[in-house]
Amino acid sequence: MAFDLTINGSVHSVDADPQTPLLWVIRDHVGLTGTKFSCGIGQCGACTVHVDGRAIRSCSVPVSTALGKPILTIEGVSPDGSHPIQMAWKEFDAPQCGYCQSGMIMAALALLNDRPSPTDADIDAHVTNACRCGTYHRVRQAIHLAAGLMRK
Amino acid sequence: MSTDVTRREFLATVAVAHGAFVLGFWMPDKTQAQTPVARPSGASWYEEPATPEVNAWIVVAPDETVTIRIAQTELGQGVWTSNAMMVAEELQCDWAKVRPQYASANRDAREKAPDWTLKVPGNGATDPNGGGEPTFGDRDRTGVAGIPDSLYRRMRTNAASSVKDGRYYLQLAGAEARERLLLAAAALWNVPVTELTAKDSVITHGPSRRTTTYGRVAQRAAQTPHPHPETIRIKSPDQWTLMGTERKNLDVPLKVTGQTVYGIDIRLPGMKWAAVKACPVYGGDVKRYDFDAIRTMPGVRSAVQFPIPDPSCTRGRIFSGGVAVIADSWYQAKTAIDRMPIEWTIPPDNAAVNTAMMQDALAAAIAQPGRVRVEHGNVDGGFARAAKIVEATYSTPYLARARMEPGNATVLVTNDRVDIWIGDQSPQETRFSASKITGVPEQNVYIHLCHLGGGYGRNGNGPQAEQAIMIANQMRGTPVHMLWTREEDFIGTTYRAMGLARLKAGLDADGWPTALEVRTCMQRDGFGPEASFDVTYRYHVPNYRYSTHTTKFHIPVGTRRGVGQAAHEFYRESFMNELAHAAGKDPYQYRRELIARTSLPYKADMIRALDMAAEMSGWGSPLPPGKARAIALEERGAEGNGMATISAMVHVVSVSREGKVRLERVDVAHDTGFGVVNPLSVKKQIEGQIAWFYNDAMLQQTTIADGHIVENNYNRFPISRMADYPPEINIRFFPTGHWLIGMGHDRAISIQSAIGDAIFQITGKRFRDLPFSKHDLTWS
Repeated sequence: MAFDLTINGSVHSVDADPQTPLLWVIRDHVGLTGTKFSCGIGQCGACTVHVDGRAIRSCSVPVSTALGKPILTIEGVSPDGSHPIQMAWKEFDAPQCGYCQSGMIMAALALLNDRPSPTDADIDAHVTNACRCGTYHRVRQAIHLAAGLMRK
Repeated sequence: MSTDVTRREFLATVAVAHGAFVLGFWMPDKTQAQTPVARPSGASWYEEPATPEVNAWIVVAPDETVTIRIAQTELGQGVWTSNAMMVAEELQCDWAKVRPQYASANRDAREKAPDWTLKVPGNGATDPNGGGEPTFGDRDRTGVAGIPDSLYRRMRTNAASSVKDGRYYLQLAGAEARERLLLAAAALWNVPVTELTAKDSVITHGPSRRTTTYGRVAQRAAQTPHPHPETIRIKSPDQWTLMGTERKNLDVPLKVTGQTVYGIDIRLPGMKWAAVKACPVYGGDVKRYDFDAIRTMPGVRSAVQFPIPDPSCTRGRIFSGGVAVIADSWYQAKTAIDRMPIEWTIPPDNAAVNTAMMQDALAAAIAQPGRVRVEHGNVDGGFARAAKIVEATYSTPYLARARMEPGNATVLVTNDRVDIWIGDQSPQETRFSASKITGVPEQNVYIHLCHLGGGYGRNGNGPQAEQAIMIANQMRGTPVHMLWTREEDFIGTTYRAMGLARLKAGLDADGWPTALEVRTCMQRDGFGPEASFDVTYRYHVPNYRYSTHTTKFHIPVGTRRGVGQAAHEFYRESFMNELAHAAGKDPYQYRRELIARTSLPYKADMIRALDMAAEMSGWGSPLPPGKARAIALEERGAEGNGMATISAMVHVVSVSREGKVRLERVDVAHDTGFGVVNPLSVKKQIEGQIAWFYNDAMLQQTTIADGHIVENNYNRFPISRMADYPPEINIRFFPTGHWLIGMGHDRAISIQSAIGDAIFQITGKRFRDLPFSKHDLTWS
């Protein structure tokens, strides 16, 4: 089935089974590989993107649910790493292997859009992505820094 | 697609798609990558770079960009940055102009290491002016222990050894290039080289104050060999200006924009996708499968069977045979293989195995006389004169690494060449496997290294490359991207071996040990069954016996953020806490005194670590109900007088009345040896392993039912999240008089014993098997 998807402000024409998880349409049909596959069951959050401003785990959502809604992936946060959240991540050198970090940034960005001054408890409750390298210490500091930068 | 389409064309295509960082390596000249036809000789890209290389590690471009080849794989440990720092320190180039690029494993198969890289300078682990005490095995073309005389020598990324083993020849590579750049400038100006200095890629002639740059003399330097490379010396730590400073990791900008190229991100023209199912019981194989049932599903092309990988390609480990479905997209392949009927041939002995039986087998083996590794004094006599006997049995489960990026590899086999795009911790081994499977000589195997989405122990030692090569070998001419599901990733890996330990100590009337007997048990092929107990017991005991006991299981085992040490430290430091409790002594002072009584060469460093961690933590100050503190020493290598890493940690743990455990605070006192390359990466390694060993202590276990792994996704094999991470971490460093043995594993292992002891202090319950979450931790 052919349909249009609006990803990072651009319209992409896609021909795919509407039951295909959004993740695979983003990665393989549209070719944006910054969003990652890891568990396939919505557990780890490596595939987190925004649909209509909400963070969702795209491995477990059929593409059909995203039709007509704006989709934001890591590539759309800023292409050059200049968004405050990316600047904050770089300031703390947060990533290790980096594989989960696209999803981690998207989850944190959704939180910051919702709560511009999150507490540690807010972060614990809303950034529930898994990082096997254990970058949480720096990710938490980066979220607080990003909050400050984004409020300015 | 035609087999005549060259791999270089793929490189060009992907270069367009991904920009400057191509397949995880830096292309100093994008135009070059995009115009493969400009190199009609058919030479590989590295043989005809836009600017000639100075040596095999370094290319300096006219625009001053310094490309540094990295022979280890970046998997989060920061090796792209630390390896580059070791070269750049000596090169004295502008750090802002440095671009890492993966070294070519193909070239490594064709060229020998320059003689000047072979000799380790200095006098071993305690000489600050030398190369430390790196280890190379014998020449082994499988590359298991590196290939000592091949160009890049050690392309494996393991054993926390990238700095430890590579530092001297990476420093030498930088120094050799620097000297040649200086010689080129001296020749240009016709002045003595001794009148020249180099800093930040600028060469200055002192007397005339003339300057030039590396970029301007690199061409000349590249054409002029050094007359006496054997006379080149490396800098000692007191001369370092770049090494030893905190440097942000060079690839982090890519990781916050989604541009890093991992193996999973490879896309090639004409590429097909493979989803696989291997027999879930190791040693099993495909009996039959019904491709006709899925033949007409969308995108499906074919099915390809693959056998149990040749054990010579997997270091003797027995994995499973399986089948791949090939389709236009991976999701199509995965959807189809899920619906394809597959029957397995499973060895009945393997299918009968479950965790309870294995625990019984370990218990039976540990009761038998084992292999005595260490015996000194009179152990039985020591027990006979003890006032008190303390005994404890500890156990640890099988554990997966569960890296985030599922196993994958993209392979194109043609009749005379194999190309593999993969994140790989051991490309020399993969090169061997590719040759063995396809019959193509290793000199014609090209491994295009990508970043890895986590490693944690040889990337699982699994057969991801071998499976992909076996599949692509049956589809010659078509590039095949094989990608495992998460569940398949839990099958295609090795496990940290399940372990059991019995410790028995006699204490005198004052509570000091009179004798100690340690028995550990792991499966026969378990990695490191003797790790950390083998030379001496860390804490002084006059009479000591250590024996190992083994049994045989079919689960393939391997390294996992260390070898046996993570389990053994849980046993040892837990037992120390129990002994201190039985002796009625403070566990910090008890450890301190028992180390002071040893004659271990680094005992002063170990005492310093304990003292510093205790002081940082406010040891002895009161804590509210429900919170407790525990201390432990962590060392690797400190029982000898070679390279070592020494630290102590104090952990504050809370246990709620409902039994919820939280690691509240971690204080770390850590040695730097003569110096660490990138202190920022060292901190990140410690921080990361705090999460890692919290997982081991609290959350994770792998169990076996009917011969297969039960916990095969993150819903069953939990990974700690932000909310589990300690809110406070303090890390302090202290210098010691040896080179470090490594940072990538065995750090923060004390979390296991510390949480166990805190649970005991708070709840009164002593648990000795991991993970603790399986126990009732409530209290009132």
